[in-house]
Amino acid sequence: MTISEFKTACQTIEQEYKTKIAHADNLSVVEELRIAALGRKGALTELLKGLKDFSIEDKKTAGPLGNALKTALSAALDEKTETLAAKQINDELNRTEIDLTLPGYPVAKGHRHPLAVAQDRMTDILARLGFEWAEGPWVEDEKHNFDLLNIPLHHPARDAQDTFFVDSTMPLVLRTHTSNVQSRYMEKHKPPLRIMAPGRVFRNDSLDATHSPVFHQIEGLYVDKNVSMADLKSDLTAFMKGLFGNKAEIRFRPSFFPFTEPSVEVDVKCVFCQGKGCNVCKGSGWIEMLGAGVVHPNVLRNCGINPEEFSGYAFGMGVERLAMMMLNIKDIRTFYENDLRILKQF
Amino acid sequence: MKILYSWLKDFIELDLTPEELAQKLTDLGIEVASIETTGADFEGVFVAQITQIENHPDSDHLHLVTLDLGDGKTQRVVCGAPNIAVGQKVPLARVGARLGKNVLKPAVIRGVKSEGMICSSDELGLTNTRARGILVLDENIPLGTDVSSLYGKADTLFELEITSNRPDLLSHWGVARELGALLNKPVKLPAIKDIPGKGKALDIDIQNPQACTRYIGRVIRGVKNAESPEWLKMRLSAMGLNPKNALIDITNYVMFELGHPMHAFDLRLVEGGKIIVRNAQPDEKFTILDGRQLTLNENCLLIADAKKATALAGIMGGLNSGIQEDTTDIFVEAAHFDAPTINKTVKKFGVSSDSSQRFERGTDVEGAMLAMRRASDLFVQICGGVASEINDVYPTPYKNPAVTFTPAEINRILGTQISEERLKEIFSRLALEFNANGERWMFVAPTHRRDLNHKWDLAEEAARFAGYDQIPVNPSRAYVAFVDAPKGIELGRQFAQDLIGLGFCECKNIDFVGEKELKAFGQNPQFCIKIKNALAQGWDYLRPVLLPALLKNVESNLRFGNRNLALFETTKTFQSIKGFPVENYSVAGVLCGTLEQEKFFGAPEKPVDFYFLKGMMSALLGHVEGVSFAPAKAAPCYMHPKICMDIMLNGKSIGQFGKLHPLTLKAFDIKTADVWAFEFTTKQIEKSFSAQDFKPAKNVAVFPPSLRDLSVVVDKTITYAQIASALDKTPLDVDLSYHLIDKYEGEHLPAGKKSVTFSLAFFNKERTLKDKETDTAFNRIVEQLKAAVGAELR
Repeated sequence: MTISEFKTACQTIEQEYKTKIAHADNLSVVEELRIAALGRKGALTELLKGLKDFSIEDKKTAGPLGNALKTALSAALDEKTETLAAKQINDELNRTEIDLTLPGYPVAKGHRHPLAVAQDRMTDILARLGFEWAEGPWVEDEKHNFDLLNIPLHHPARDAQDTFFVDSTMPLVLRTHTSNVQSRYMEKHKPPLRIMAPGRVFRNDSLDATHSPVFHQIEGLYVDKNVSMADLKSDLTAFMKGLFGNKAEIRFRPSFFPFTEPSVEVDVKCVFCQGKGCNVCKGSGWIEMLGAGVVHPNVLRNCGINPEEFSGYAFGMGVERLAMMMLNIKDIRTFYENDLRILKQF
Repeated sequence: MKILYSWLKDFIELDLTPEELAQKLTDLGIEVASIETTGADFEGVFVAQITQIENHPDSDHLHLVTLDLGDGKTQRVVCGAPNIAVGQKVPLARVGARLGKNVLKPAVIRGVKSEGMICSSDELGLTNTRARGILVLDENIPLGTDVSSLYGKADTLFELEITSNRPDLLSHWGVARELGALLNKPVKLPAIKDIPGKGKALDIDIQNPQACTRYIGRVIRGVKNAESPEWLKMRLSAMGLNPKNALIDITNYVMFELGHPMHAFDLRLVEGGKIIVRNAQPDEKFTILDGRQLTLNENCLLIADAKKATALAGIMGGLNSGIQEDTTDIFVEAAHFDAPTINKTVKKFGVSSDSSQRFERGTDVEGAMLAMRRASDLFVQICGGVASEINDVYPTPYKNPAVTFTPAEINRILGTQISEERLKEIFSRLALEFNANGERWMFVAPTHRRDLNHKWDLAEEAARFAGYDQIPVNPSRAYVAFVDAPKGIELGRQFAQDLIGLGFCECKNIDFVGEKELKAFGQNPQFCIKIKNALAQGWDYLRPVLLPALLKNVESNLRFGNRNLALFETTKTFQSIKGFPVENYSVAGVLCGTLEQEKFFGAPEKPVDFYFLKGMMSALLGHVEGVSFAPAKAAPCYMHPKICMDIMLNGKSIGQFGKLHPLTLKAFDIKTADVWAFEFTTKQIEKSFSAQDFKPAKNVAVFPPSLRDLSVVVDKTITYAQIASALDKTPLDVDLSYHLIDKYEGEHLPAGKKSVTFSLAFFNKERTLKDKETDTAFNRIVEQLKAAVGAELR
């Protein structure tokens, strides 16, 4: 065989097998082709056996040529095998019959209580505004619930609290507000202080659609040098933006609380109608959100803080009220009935 | 507090609409609860009688109605009302009449000229019922009567919420004064004709000048008690009071007008010609006007004559000395009582009145004289009579303390930049005395404003009158410290998160329980916190345990068809230890129904069982350092005696979990289900808990383990714990982990035997194990189990 005959034979084999591999439509055909071309007695194997008769010069040309063809055919066969194997798997998958519209298995999922959802949301925002956590007892003495907070014993403001009294030799009540945390905290800590205190409070109010003897408040208190009403307005604006988005606006209305002076009711521009007036805001464009004010100098003094040196603000907001508004819950009792059909929605 | 717009206008000129006025009041911090329109807002409507009804020539439902106007004239109008009949007296609006904002013009209705309108109640603005049909009037009303005279003038009634620091706003005069300051308008008192006094009034002896700082009295003889005039009755009715007779009505009228409560005694019933203001004797009996007999104490202040008590000072008169229909001589009181004194008695006896509500908030001591002058004038004007001199006992005239401050201090409290000029203007309008000449300003509040005691109070006034929109919004200047949530709260949140992850739903329950629940849960009421004034029976105690409420949740959920329940609550529980309240955070939960939330098509229903509960508890508490579970030596009464484990923390029980006792379920009306429950307190866990404690990660083996299954047969009486303990104690040269994969009793096993199967994993941290090493370890385990619990390889 001459070197040129060898080259022609290689070309013939290459053409023949590449065509055959391309047309192979199942794995056994591919295997047969592999044996026919590259097997011990395969066409290429036989051809390459003839290499030994070539001169050293010719071997240098024919050897790489033959090996390259061997590699190329082998790769073409591997590729075809892979393609056909994948096709076989896919054909099998495509024969699958399943009703995808059947419901998924009822995986048990737990749910946070809607009040906890609302409260977490609020405390998260306050935490971002730098408020530390604080707490106080729920069974409280009258000193911390009233006296230190400038709510004197024989004053109608004290009567207005609808207090639950504990049957005890000590003057104990169920705290009527989270403000007891103010007196508790300021007795032990000196300014600067910036705290939030979420928790349960109690009022002797019959359970109906809008009243519950047990409900939740979040108290906020900030005392430092030169804290003013403007700081209150600024921080509450930031809080409401956290809660309702960047467009949130608040306004102050004068009010009265014994433990703040000046005292304000804080309204937020109705988030449902953007202040145009709707059912939720009863047409006023504003929703009453919380009570707040500058900490009364008597409260600071009662807790051992000099009101000429330090000043502060305080606010208290109802969690139920907010949760009812945000979640469109019309009856406060819904929160305390713990009906799974409601709980599972949150 | 009710305010009648027309009454307000007696004192101040106002041209605001009711809505505008409400906004002004709101801006001042006076909450307007409601605005109500009253009376007749129409003119030119007269009573006429229907004499003839004819059909309209061009309509099925319209009629031509002829009316007698009562002045000899008749008029024909077109009317479509279905309820007209000959003989009816009806309101006829004649051309030119005003109905609210509309003026009636002559009309041609389907070709017929109509010179008036027979009105419905809605058309007159008296109702808003949308009912068709004319208003039919009483047949006794004379023809030609102005219909508006039957209903009173149009007016607006405001219901105001007055905060307890502003008793000076509990009157028309007070609200007018406040509006005057806001609008910078003059306010004027009603013209009072001072009644000259003839002869002496009664002697007045104030025995407790601290409780009664001023007492003004006057006798008026020869009055004629009768019905009050219309205008007075109308105003009192608007205040929600039933007019009684002129003498009583006048005292009430003055109170609503000027804010100072008054009292009138029938002079016949005042014995000894003397008034004594004194404290009650211990257990002194006194019958107040409403017929209730009170047993008083030394804190109660009384008005008495020489022989007996005649009034509970500032609260209510006595049954023994009140005004009668035939009263001719009266003694009139205008006094000032100490607010806490009145409040104590009101609270002690639950007696409250319009008078006491004003005194306990604090009345104006100077206003007492004004009230006396105003009332005297009205008494003599309306009832006639001759007044005595005024006896005014006022030993120590009151003056508010001076407040000194700088304008900068006001702006610092508010964070504002209100100008000095504006502040001067505001304070000078409010002050009795005001001096802004020096660096420090000086302000003395008038006697009706005892709430203005220091610069913070004045800062509020500045903000109210300058407007709260003066307060700017600045970037938040936060002082930030990092302090964790209190441990109880933080742990509660973590347990809540974990339980939610395990498929539990969070509940929140009211914190009250009754004796029934306490008994069912073996709680001694003596160690519970009892409410003195509970709202309802069954809500007498603060709950010492959380499970009773959760059982109520189970019961109601089952009732609503929610069968598969996993509920929890984490909050405080309460105990009374040696009389001291103790509050602990607790976590409790209940499970019932099937493992999955509901029956589904892919698997059989599997009811919750003990091991499911135990698995939940391991998942919840397994990571807590020091926690273990041990069979309860004595299960609590509400648990199954044999299916209950203690949750131990470092050897001490902090709670239990197990199956609830069927009798407990019965007590809560739960009939259909087994209920599994747990409850523990976190107090002991809190001690070793820190939010900053992170457990370091343990390295895991990088070489694959050799796995073997081990099935052994043991006596039935051998517990899992015994086998596990033997496994743990086997001395091995390799590391071992294992878990139970099967347990079996029954067929193919000898009687009294059971089989348990473990999956064992042998491994070495440094290399892959050789088969031989694994075999050796496996054989040692078999030997150990045989020796320790008599196990035979199966």
